[in-house]
Amino acid sequence: MASPATSQSKTAVGAVISVVMGILVVAAVGTTLHAHSNLDAPAGYAKVNGTIVAPDGKTYPHAFINDNVFADAADSKIHGSSGGHAGWPSYGPYINLVLPAHTYVTMTMHVYDGGEKMNTPYFASVVGTVGGTINIDGKNVSSLPNDGVQHTFTLHGLPTSSQDPLFVNVPLPKTPEGQQDEPGSPLPKGYTVTFSFITGGKGNYVWNCEYPCGDSTYQNFGAVMGAPGYMNGKVTVI
Amino acid sequence: MEHQDDEDLKPTPGGRVKQVLKEKDVRQVLFFFVLFTALFSILGLWAYPRWMPNIMSKEMRGDESIMIWFTVISAPIAGIVLAFAMRSFIDIQRGDTPPEDGPAISGHTPTVVIWTAVSFLFCTVAIVWGMTEMNTWSQDAIAKESNAMVVNVTGAQWSWSFNYPAQGITTHELNLPVNQPITFNVISDDVNHSFWPVELGVKVDANRLATTVVHVTPDKIGAFEVKCAELCGIYHAYMETNGQVESRADFDNWVSTVKAQGGAQ
Repeated sequence: MASPATSQSKTAVGAVISVVMGILVVAAVGTTLHAHSNLDAPAGYAKVNGTIVAPDGKTYPHAFINDNVFADAADSKIHGSSGGHAGWPSYGPYINLVLPAHTYVTMTMHVYDGGEKMNTPYFASVVGTVGGTINIDGKNVSSLPNDGVQHTFTLHGLPTSSQDPLFVNVPLPKTPEGQQDEPGSPLPKGYTVTFSFITGGKGNYVWNCEYPCGDSTYQNFGAVMGAPGYMNGKVTVI
Repeated sequence: MEHQDDEDLKPTPGGRVKQVLKEKDVRQVLFFFVLFTALFSILGLWAYPRWMPNIMSKEMRGDESIMIWFTVISAPIAGIVLAFAMRSFIDIQRGDTPPEDGPAISGHTPTVVIWTAVSFLFCTVAIVWGMTEMNTWSQDAIAKESNAMVVNVTGAQWSWSFNYPAQGITTHELNLPVNQPITFNVISDDVNHSFWPVELGVKVDANRLATTVVHVTPDKIGAFEVKCAELCGIYHAYMETNGQVESRADFDNWVSTVKAQGGAQ
């Protein structure tokens, strides 16, 4: 029969081992989740090139950044994205964006996907851009029809007092049904969408798509819409 | 004569209490009971009012009142449970020699009666208080319904949008005029969310295909936060936006500005 002192030591060792194993399990889960997140995905850096006078009369540094929206992995791989799930649309090559603070940012997006109908009509409206409009192949618009959207670029953040608010919603026009690839190109003509917005101070934000482009679960907000690295990403203002 | 001696030695009720109070165990339990009851009472009466967010409606004031007084009411219960727990912890037995069980006290009628009556009383107070508060809100909402301003609240992964049908605008921030009864029609366009304008004292589920109606009258000018209180996906934490309670004139100006921008902001 073990003495009380021996029994006490065993209990203490068992407790320590349990705590250590618990820490290891939590660390393993955290490391795995981090490895599958898009936190380390390549970030697109907006490059400053000159200055511009905004409608508010102030002069800002003018930064530019380009990105794309592809209909599936085959198209996105051609243009340098990681590809991912074969049938899923994605933004690319950049999922995460880095923007300079207090800057007039002009973003150009080439978009190649189709669409159906928005769940929330509000996100078919342009919000938060300079002039309240976006430019689609040379034409300024302030909203799209509810059934004319392929994806949205909806940028937002926490309403914390430690960073400036920033909300931008850009609906991207859907390409016509059955559009064929351009001669000599693996992609259809698509649209070129350009818009500008003004960043505040440094802060951390996110963007995501508000068009229901997932599978049939969660009102089409399942699958690609719930997976990191396709229809959502981080925006860091530095 | 011997019988008379026994009668003399039998302690009176007061004497029994004094005798029990001389026990070390009892004194320790009483000490911890008073300590924990006092701590929880201080938590409710002093700390909560300081920790609570800015109170901007009668509903939020009611929420705070319930939190404070329910904490105070439950302080003695928490106190006695923690007192016995602490006493047991201090007297923890080590090794393989646990003490023998004490004598069973089941069947002690006064204890059972007091125990049941006190529990019944606490539960009744909680139920009656809660129902009275809810009824007061409902009556208030019915009285003000005809004068209420409607805001249709839509939750979508991972943003809120607010449609003001009478004003003809839709926004991502929630501006409200002060002292104006508001009717929120809350719905989700995808998964379940929870609409939580914190400082207004409202928290209600936003469900797909089912509109939930909730009323509030903001009575203080200032900023508030709108959060989602239902884990709804990878950017649930970012499903927050700003709110502002403002004067009627400021609200009308804001509406005009949004309308001038095309009705969406």
